[in-house]
Amino acid sequence: MPACKTMFESLDDPVDVLTAFLDGVMRPIRFRWQGRVVRVRRVTGQWNRREGQAVLRYFAVQGSRDESYELCYDARGPRWTLKRAWREGA
Amino acid sequence: MILLVDMDAFFASVEQAHHPHLRGRAVIVCGDPDRRGVVTAASYEARPFGVRAGMPLAEAKRLCPNAEYVEGSPRKYVEKSLELLECFLSYTPDVEPFSVDEAFLDLGRLGARGATMDAAIALGREIQERIAREHSLGASIGIGPNKLIAKMASGVRKPRGLTAFDEEGFRRHFWPRPVQELWGVGPKMSVHLGALGIRTVGDLGETSAAALEQAFGVVGPHLRDAAWGMDRSPVIPYHEGVDPKSMGHEVTLPEDSRDPAFLEGTLLRLADQVARRLRGDGFAARTVTLKLRDFRFRTVTRQRALDVAVDDHLSLFEVARNLWRTNWRGEPLRLLGVSASALEKRGEAAQTELFERDERARTLQQALDRVRDRLGEASVVPAGSLTQRGEPGHVPFGAAQRQNRGTLSRRSAGAELNRRIRREAGRDEGPAGGSSPPGAQP
Repeated sequence: MPACKTMFESLDDPVDVLTAFLDGVMRPIRFRWQGRVVRVRRVTGQWNRREGQAVLRYFAVQGSRDESYELCYDARGPRWTLKRAWREGA
Repeated sequence: MILLVDMDAFFASVEQAHHPHLRGRAVIVCGDPDRRGVVTAASYEARPFGVRAGMPLAEAKRLCPNAEYVEGSPRKYVEKSLELLECFLSYTPDVEPFSVDEAFLDLGRLGARGATMDAAIALGREIQERIAREHSLGASIGIGPNKLIAKMASGVRKPRGLTAFDEEGFRRHFWPRPVQELWGVGPKMSVHLGALGIRTVGDLGETSAAALEQAFGVVGPHLRDAAWGMDRSPVIPYHEGVDPKSMGHEVTLPEDSRDPAFLEGTLLRLADQVARRLRGDGFAARTVTLKLRDFRFRTVTRQRALDVAVDDHLSLFEVARNLWRTNWRGEPLRLLGVSASALEKRGEAAQTELFERDERARTLQQALDRVRDRLGEASVVPAGSLTQRGEPGHVPFGAAQRQNRGTLSRRSAGAELNRRIRREAGRDEGPAGGSSPPGAQP
């Protein structure tokens, strides 16, 4: 088994997200976090969670350096939040 | 032919599918990794270390310290399960979801594609490949002439296995095996069977139905049928639905507790969660069950039947609290659970009898439900469930904001500064906070 070299961070950071709407499907393209822009290379999963009448939309995404994130879109703000991040450790 | 699709290490595999760097690594899905709790699921890479679902997290960390501990997200797994259901429904309308990670498919209506064992195997392979291609997940498939054989066949080769038996093949494989491998025979039943000298599935098959009926009542002959690979239970299609038999919630406490106020507050919260589910699905319950697990992992369940069916948290709580007061000896408790069974559809239930005496209570309950439906579970909660809120050991309620925890293996000073600024500006509060530990939230 390869040794785990990633850092897992449980976050709740507001982030600015460049978003595309293609064929009625929303998709994050880039987001700014900790002063740098992360380009979303791939959306690896999507799911929703209800909070009362509000529906929070979650996206599991991979960045250009294969790092992994979970973003959440809350239409009530509207606002984007970075919920979790895995990055290669130093 | 019947086909059972059993997703391999489902929760851990979904995390690996969503986060590709986790693939090939030991992944353990749990509640909050920094709190006490149990392993919800372990990837196949973690299993050689002895990690199993249900094991205390502390033990898992001792056995497999280098694993990735991932906080589970029940909603994520349910949504994936629904996507898989859509996939299965594209083959046949006769799909019965058996659990969040298992489904029976009845191929009877597919004509030649599902009529023979070879055709069913080909279809099973196709479904496995599609699940791998479209969802990056593994599934093991069992095929047989009935649900029992399909279910048991699915466990023969894992992960990504495919096993098909006819009744004769089933007996050839399972008759030499221990009787507890038979679907429906649990540890207690296997002890009873062992006392009769029945140790293998074959022993059970060769015992007379009369002897089994004498020992186990009406269940006895059914056990014998199962040993012969006989099962007449139908696949109940998804769209027909099946009413649940019980609803419950349990929580592993952050630390062992013998504080009555805290324990009663936790019971009230659990009763409230169960009551919300009952009302949400239009049920009322005639039986309440309390589950206690102490610091030595001794588990006690006690239940009480009620004269009328109820669906409000105070009624459930009253019963659960009485059971707790009667059965708790003051030892530190690790886990509490409340469940409701003997369910009745609310229209048929005698709940109205209860509320006719207190129309105002019913109106209030409906109003509170509307508020929570609209604003979320944490918007209104029973005050008694907030005992010791914010104190160490408190179990968070609903979607209340959690502080960022020590999960962070590293955090930049800038991010921490931003967080503090937001907190001080009052923007870091509110119900849009972090996801909830499985089983600990509505």
